Amino acid sequence: MQKRNKYTEIEDFLADESFLSWVRTKTDLENWEEWTLENSIRAKLVEEARLWVLAMKVPENNLHPSIIQSALVATWNKIEKNEISTSTKKEIKHWNNNWLRSVAAVLVFGLLATWTYSHLFIPTNSTQVYNELIEDNNDEGLVEQTNNSTKAQIITLSDGSSVLLQPKSKLSYPKIFVGNERRVYLSGEGFFEISKNPKKPFLVFANEIVTKVVGTSFRISAFSNEPNVEILVRTGKVKVQSNEMALSSNKKEEITLLPNEALRFTRKNSTFDKITDITKDQTLIHSVRTIEQLSFDFTDIPVSQIFKTIEQAYLVNIEFPKDKLKDCHLTTSLNDQPLPEKLKIICKALANNTSYEMNGNQIIINSDGCNY
Amino acid sequence: MNTKSLNTTCADDSILWSRLRTGDEKAFSVLFTKYYEHLVRYGNSFSNHSEKVQDCIQDVFADLWIYKHSLNDNANVKAYLLSSVRKRIARLQERDYIFTKTASTDSIQFLFDFSIEHQLILDESTADKVNQLNILINLLPSRQKEALYLRYHQGLSVEQIADMLDVNYQSANNLLHRALLNLRKEWNTNIPLLILLSYSIL
Repeated sequence: MQKRNKYTEIEDFLADESFLSWVRTKTDLENWEEWTLENSIRAKLVEEARLWVLAMKVPENNLHPSIIQSALVATWNKIEKNEISTSTKKEIKHWNNNWLRSVAAVLVFGLLATWTYSHLFIPTNSTQVYNELIEDNNDEGLVEQTNNSTKAQIITLSDGSSVLLQPKSKLSYPKIFVGNERRVYLSGEGFFEISKNPKKPFLVFANEIVTKVVGTSFRISAFSNEPNVEILVRTGKVKVQSNEMALSSNKKEEITLLPNEALRFTRKNSTFDKITDITKDQTLIHSVRTIEQLSFDFTDIPVSQIFKTIEQAYLVNIEFPKDKLKDCHLTTSLNDQPLPEKLKIICKALANNTSYEMNGNQIIINSDGCNY
Repeated sequence: MNTKSLNTTCADDSILWSRLRTGDEKAFSVLFTKYYEHLVRYGNSFSNHSEKVQDCIQDVFADLWIYKHSLNDNANVKAYLLSSVRKRIARLQERDYIFTKTASTDSIQFLFDFSIEHQLILDESTADKVNQLNILINLLPSRQKEALYLRYHQGLSVEQIADMLDVNYQSANNLLHRALLNLRKEWNTNIPLLILLSYSIL
């Protein structure tokens, strides 16, 4: 403690914390005052050192804790971005490898009720099927959404999947998927894009038919007043059973469909017909919706154009800062992604401060521009 | 006060540091919150672009995390961070220089001015002396000022300062010592003048 007795230079004092805190905050834990007065030469030196401290103030520009917090968040974003870009090369390889498989995994799956015979065979039990299914499973706390408008509506599910629900259609789904299956109930037509989760298969109960997938995109249409149900597979693999079989476990007959195969279920006699060449089937060709025709493969495309494509496919409105994003181009493939995932990927690719908000069919992109 | 908190938390720093090296996100966040403000203040001494400075500091921390496995295990955290921020800003200014073609930038300039502890000065004669001393300190070459700042405000050792300013120990010591020595001379010779001045004003 008495090393200060050997102090001969101002430097010695300036480097002594205890001395500094005595000068700056007047906390004199080591009796500097007394010690100084012991010796007049010492007192002179201490006085000079004190003046130095007083003349060398470093103002504290106190940053608000919220500024530090947001800086921390920004830093984590930088880290994340770096980790993405360093692993991009690996991922691209992976992606190419996976691409064929994921093409195979993507199903565009159409159950199209044909309009032709609509009034001939109105199956009296079909709406009951939907209603019964709902009733049987209402302990799950289902939410029902009905599209009474003339345009398709987008619905986002809790697992990140999205459903484009066509007019005169309704979908029942749990607010949150629990258990080891994801079950939804459809009456009418919907285009499903399912987030991948092999541990939790996704089941669509559409009147008499149950469609089972793991993660993919497909379209189902099962109107109660139409006699046929058709399933169209674009890519991937999907399993179809009739609902009776799905519910009663005896004699399960599953039909597996591969890309560009289709299945027609005739409600009158409960038979399945596999259609191996969809191009020869007029009803299927005519029923293709916009979203199935649009490509989400973009190569160096202005982001505004990408947003336009999404707007057309999902019938949503996207607001984005046009000036700030006018020079932003992206190369990406979003074919196999549900809408929220598409938006997430675009935001991530643009800049780390880009985010999106989705409210019904209104999407707002917040961005300060892109990173490059 | 700063200096005090720096030294007394050295032990905590080395614990945080070693936890950071093993990928502890909490340790990273604690170090970040602890040093961010210090580093911003130091960084702002080199540049008027506070946004760019903060960006540099965030980059330093991002690198810290990304390269955490190759960090030295017994580094002085404070010195390491200050030095990294300095290097980063220097690199940025060099890059900017290529485009703006302004003055030479062998090393970045410490533009900071020390201020005065007004609230601690009660009598007028002390105020005069401190004023004069403050002016003289701020007239020092920027490297000497920076050395003083690092030594007496950030509590770095002479070795650490030598390391940061890329000079040997003796030169760093000289920077510090000469700063004080010259000033004391100048100051002492100026005091009578100062007193005269203040009297004439009265």
